[in-house]
Amino acid sequence: MRDGIFQVQHLSLAYPARRGHPAATILDDVSVDVERGSALTLVGPSGSGKSSLLRCLNRLEEPTAGVVRFGGRPIVELDPRELRRRAALVQQTVVLFEGTVRDNLMVHAPDTTLDVSEGRLREALTEVGLDAALLGRDAATLSGGERQRVTIARALLRDPQALLLDEPTSALDPPNAMLVVETICRLRDARGLTIVAVTHTPELVRRLGGTLLYLVKGRVQAYGPVHDGGIVDERLQAFLSGTHP
Amino acid sequence: MTSVVFGVIELSWWQLALALLLVLVVAAISLRERLGLERDLVIGAVRAIVQLYLVGLILATVFSAARWYWVLLILVVMAAIATHAAVSRLGKPLPGVYWIAATALTLSTAATLTYVIGVVIEPRPWWEPQYLVPIAGMILGNSMTSAALAGDRLQSDLFARRDEVEARLALGFSGPEAVQPLVRAALRAAMIPTVNGMMTVGVVQLPGMMTGQILAGASPLTAIRYQMVVVFMMAVATALGSLVFVRLAVGRYLTRAHQLRRYLL
Repeated sequence: MRDGIFQVQHLSLAYPARRGHPAATILDDVSVDVERGSALTLVGPSGSGKSSLLRCLNRLEEPTAGVVRFGGRPIVELDPRELRRRAALVQQTVVLFEGTVRDNLMVHAPDTTLDVSEGRLREALTEVGLDAALLGRDAATLSGGERQRVTIARALLRDPQALLLDEPTSALDPPNAMLVVETICRLRDARGLTIVAVTHTPELVRRLGGTLLYLVKGRVQAYGPVHDGGIVDERLQAFLSGTHP
Repeated sequence: MTSVVFGVIELSWWQLALALLLVLVVAAISLRERLGLERDLVIGAVRAIVQLYLVGLILATVFSAARWYWVLLILVVMAAIATHAAVSRLGKPLPGVYWIAATALTLSTAATLTYVIGVVIEPRPWWEPQYLVPIAGMILGNSMTSAALAGDRLQSDLFARRDEVEARLALGFSGPEAVQPLVRAALRAAMIPTVNGMMTVGVVQLPGMMTGQILAGASPLTAIRYQMVVVFMMAVATALGSLVFVRLAVGRYLTRAHQLRRYLL
């Protein structure tokens, strides 16, 4: 029997019309399964609803219809704070708080406990390919690639079962992007982490393997395994070969 | 010839007309410097005359009627106008903001007024309009300004720092925990002008109420005592008004599932 970690069934998301904004359909009847320890990449043109789908998985966004299950239970039955520790999101915009790298790694909700022993912090940095000596550095002085990896380390300290990544390489130059791609692949292998990633980087799609969901205007255009040649869509093939605009 | 009543020089219409000449000086400056303010200036001057005259008539009527319900009605009308003014100063619309502002202004004013009138000044009867109306007006004015300042700061921060708020939510913070730094920034923004004002009160310029009392013949030593009460009550009105407003407003931006309502930003 398959061990599903996320099950998304007939998910739709729409925003009502408001002053100055027309009503908008963001996601339209999206269904997808993610197995534990596997990878799912979400690709598609900008505005296709990829990030919104990712945000529905940890309930930062509330769908208008459909169900998201995590570990077999509808996420509306779970405490959202607990869900978000189990399914850790790394946002597209890197957010580091004022203070050192150590301060950033130690950030946690007031009523929760987090193992932030020195050894654990060093281990988290090493795991994302950063030098443990960075712990005392002012977070504001880090490079783009370092910042991105610190946010991944911060998410890992919560011992998540799944890592949700929103365009983790979009703001990075190619060498730094490759470092982050390698970090993500290593984490999946070493920790058995489930990875769900929104990406425009064909390299990340290829290296992660697993399943791919191609969204266009909120609808599923193609859905299937990355490496079996199961997905036949010209635009998608163009994207995977790196020739997509 | 000027007439003197209870130590105050009564101003005649003729004297008011002389004061109005000062506005002509402003108009001349505006014309000469091409500021384009003449029209607004005329409207402003006319409104000032009409509004103040009406307020004078209403207050004179209420003062002479000497009924608690008339005083209360005046306070309700003042609170409604202050609510509208506070809301109109916000940068962006927010559902239910009228109730939020009305609750914030009513609670902060009622609490401050009860203490100042009931415990500190103790006029007899308690609703004596000579005390209640101007003091309530000052409290409302401060609550209104502070609620609007705090609300405006909260709105702009929620927009500018939305990723930061969601980063905390994604790390397992509750909604109120995730916005706490923004709430603090909004409250500080609202309270700093009042706290700074306490530092310079009486040094840079004499406060309006103190000036009024001195003009009305009160001893400066009496006037400063009242002014001290006013300064302290304005501080608490500012704190309470902005606190209640921000606490209620921030709730509109968060859901029970600890989500940020991005579409409201």
